[in-house]
Amino acid sequence: MSLPAFLGRRLLQLIPTLIFILIVVFVLVRLLPGDPASAILGDRALDADVERINRELGLDRPLPVQFWAFVQSVFTGNLGNSISMKIPVTQLIWERLPITMLLTFMAALIAVVVAVPLAFVAALRRDRIADSAIRGAFQVGLSMPVFYVGLILLTVFGAKLRWFPVGGYGDGFVDQLYHLFLPAVTLALSLSAILMRNLRSAIIGVVDAEYVTFARAKGLRPRLILFRHILRNALISTLTLFGLSIGTLLGGAVITESVFAVPGAGRLMIDSIYGRDYPVVQGLTIALAVLVSLTFLLTDILQAWLDPRVTR
Amino acid sequence: MTLTRAKVLAAAATVLMGTTALVQAQERGGVMTFGRYADSLFLDPVLNDANVDIWILSNMYDTLLLPTADGQSVEAGLATDWSVSDDGTVVTLTLRDGITFSDGSPITTEDVIWSLDRARNPDNGIWNFLLSAVSEVTAPDDTTIEIQLSQPDPAILPALSVFNTAILPKDAFEAMPGETDLEKATAFAENPIGSGPFVLESWDRGSTLKLVKNEHYWADGEDGEKLPYLDGVTFEIIPDDATRILRLQSGEIDGAELIPFARVAELEADPNIDMELFPSTRVADIILNVRPELDGEANPLSDEKVRQAMNYATNKDAIIQVVTFGVGTPTSSYMSSTTPLHTGDGAVFPYDLEQAQRLMSESEYPDGFSASILTLAGNQDELGIATALQQMWSQIGIDLEIEQVDNATRTEQYRNGTFQMRAGAWTNDIADPSQITSYFAYSPTIDALHSGWKSEEVDSLFEASQSEMDEETRAEQYARIQEIYNQTGPIILLYETPYPVALQQNVKGFYQIPLGNNIFRETYLETE
Repeated sequence: MSLPAFLGRRLLQLIPTLIFILIVVFVLVRLLPGDPASAILGDRALDADVERINRELGLDRPLPVQFWAFVQSVFTGNLGNSISMKIPVTQLIWERLPITMLLTFMAALIAVVVAVPLAFVAALRRDRIADSAIRGAFQVGLSMPVFYVGLILLTVFGAKLRWFPVGGYGDGFVDQLYHLFLPAVTLALSLSAILMRNLRSAIIGVVDAEYVTFARAKGLRPRLILFRHILRNALISTLTLFGLSIGTLLGGAVITESVFAVPGAGRLMIDSIYGRDYPVVQGLTIALAVLVSLTFLLTDILQAWLDPRVTR
Repeated sequence: MTLTRAKVLAAAATVLMGTTALVQAQERGGVMTFGRYADSLFLDPVLNDANVDIWILSNMYDTLLLPTADGQSVEAGLATDWSVSDDGTVVTLTLRDGITFSDGSPITTEDVIWSLDRARNPDNGIWNFLLSAVSEVTAPDDTTIEIQLSQPDPAILPALSVFNTAILPKDAFEAMPGETDLEKATAFAENPIGSGPFVLESWDRGSTLKLVKNEHYWADGEDGEKLPYLDGVTFEIIPDDATRILRLQSGEIDGAELIPFARVAELEADPNIDMELFPSTRVADIILNVRPELDGEANPLSDEKVRQAMNYATNKDAIIQVVTFGVGTPTSSYMSSTTPLHTGDGAVFPYDLEQAQRLMSESEYPDGFSASILTLAGNQDELGIATALQQMWSQIGIDLEIEQVDNATRTEQYRNGTFQMRAGAWTNDIADPSQITSYFAYSPTIDALHSGWKSEEVDSLFEASQSEMDEETRAEQYARIQEIYNQTGPIILLYETPYPVALQQNVKGFYQIPLGNNIFRETYLETE
């Protein structure tokens, strides 16, 4: 099968996934106890107010009717209005999701830049001091809670040393990158540890493979062996792990955004779940699902390029 | 005299502000950055439903009357004079001369009538009950407003100082796109024209909300200069408590709200920080479901002796130490000591374990029982209270199970009346005891906090007090309501706490009134 055909098949597979997600998110958000009116009005809710709000929101209609209206509006690109903020969900996603995407992208980049070279050093110096030091350091990073790491970074590099702002989100792209650096490092920490460990063992596995021994015997230059034979083959499994981790990374952004006061989609999601803001939860879930699916697709393409057996 | 603390503080603040004005003649501009725990949701005076909106709305929209700094009474706002007719059915107000909206257009009687009509429309929002006595609003001439009441309403003047009676420009609002009031309000809130000291400049949701000075604002400060002093207020949303404090300490923001009680002492000791505790109307308590049966079984909490035993067995001082780090004070009634017509002095049920054990043995449950309490997941205060109660009530044979749930879940069980006990907190929205009493004690509103508690005497006293124009009689009615409710009500009385706000030392003239409104009108940043 050619690459375009492979791509086409993968894109087609996205459709049932997305339909499934539509159903799941619609049902799940309604399975949560409580309703938007009680969540918004809280303890002061009067029965009459709750009934009026549910009627205004169309939540008194039968579920199949609500679901059909939801599906129709999704396919016309209209995700409805936020119940608590009244403004269109698409506007909210457009304001908040790019921030989370940028944060996730920066975190992924930092994780890769840190993990790949160190994995090489650790693998090629296996069981020596460098290896133990790197693995030990990452073990510590992996076992520390995200909010705690975030607060330490904020206190040391923000409040004490004044190298970075103490949270928030700047004006203009460069300032925003500057504001997002510490949160991205926080978010990258556990991912880089996982990637490093995975890549290290993959490299160790490949280094001892017969084709590498054969390449050495042929007298190929070590640099060529390292990049073309070892790295390329070792990356295959790590890449899959990396693709799968993007979803986790988006989830981790929720905590990181709260600690660093970054106005991203993660915080919006949490607030909306607590507030039972159905349209926002639904809209954001769909947007995130599309994003994660596209990441998987990209991973598949990269994998097909690294490992031609995939498309066969 | 029950309001000493509030009054002393207010007086001290006035004196202090007066002296600074004399000693230092300085520029009073600047932009103040204020760290908030959560963003506003919908900044419409009538259709909002959350404290995150209520507590800053008055900076953007003025009302005919304003709440005084102590939150006890009213003073002149957009109206300069007001009077209530002898029979209590007509309120007459005189509009201030030459007042305009932030776009320079005049504020007319037409705007006032339209704004009040919108605020009292039963289809609009959840606050119209505050104006339920109003039958008609008219303007006999260009500067006079007459409010006709269907029955006397002793709370009508405070109601005219509550956020939902703010005055908006009728023409600008009605020119907005959309069919319904909600659609127009949504469009208007994006680019509002206000009558308050500030006007919205920009809003990045979840991040920053910027207010700038309303150049057309009517009031002058004590130094004779025009208010507001500040050029603007920027609200930054910093949900994490530790980060909010860190940003204040690093000098990136000028003020931070809702400081956790655990950090108050530390910030009070910090010479660079001015740790303020503004008197509030916030009370914390435990609400008990007192229906005779729950889930088909006899309910021990329906036994008055059991409830009193639980109250006596509750060591308020210990809870105040553990949960509020000594910041709170025991409540002497279900309403805060800052609420008008509050009665009582000291805890209603002073901690007395022997008395509690005696009452328990006299009750129908001498061997105790098991029960569960709902607390808000992630809320350390409520968990702290519940854990303390678990230990304290084990002394009278109650086996307490703590259930941590999210707000919507709790509200559902609460509204269904299927909960056993829950932690609760309340803040008044109006400088009058009627709102809290309607929810807490008057059974037709929400079954006395959905507890199923009912007292014929309280219900009829409350109904009478709602149209009682004689202050003394109304005070007597409220004294009796409080006596009955505090002694026999569906509630464990705990404590009241102030609003903890931390400021930079150069922030002057900021205050939060007991109802929660953050007042930036007279705030300025002192420059050296």
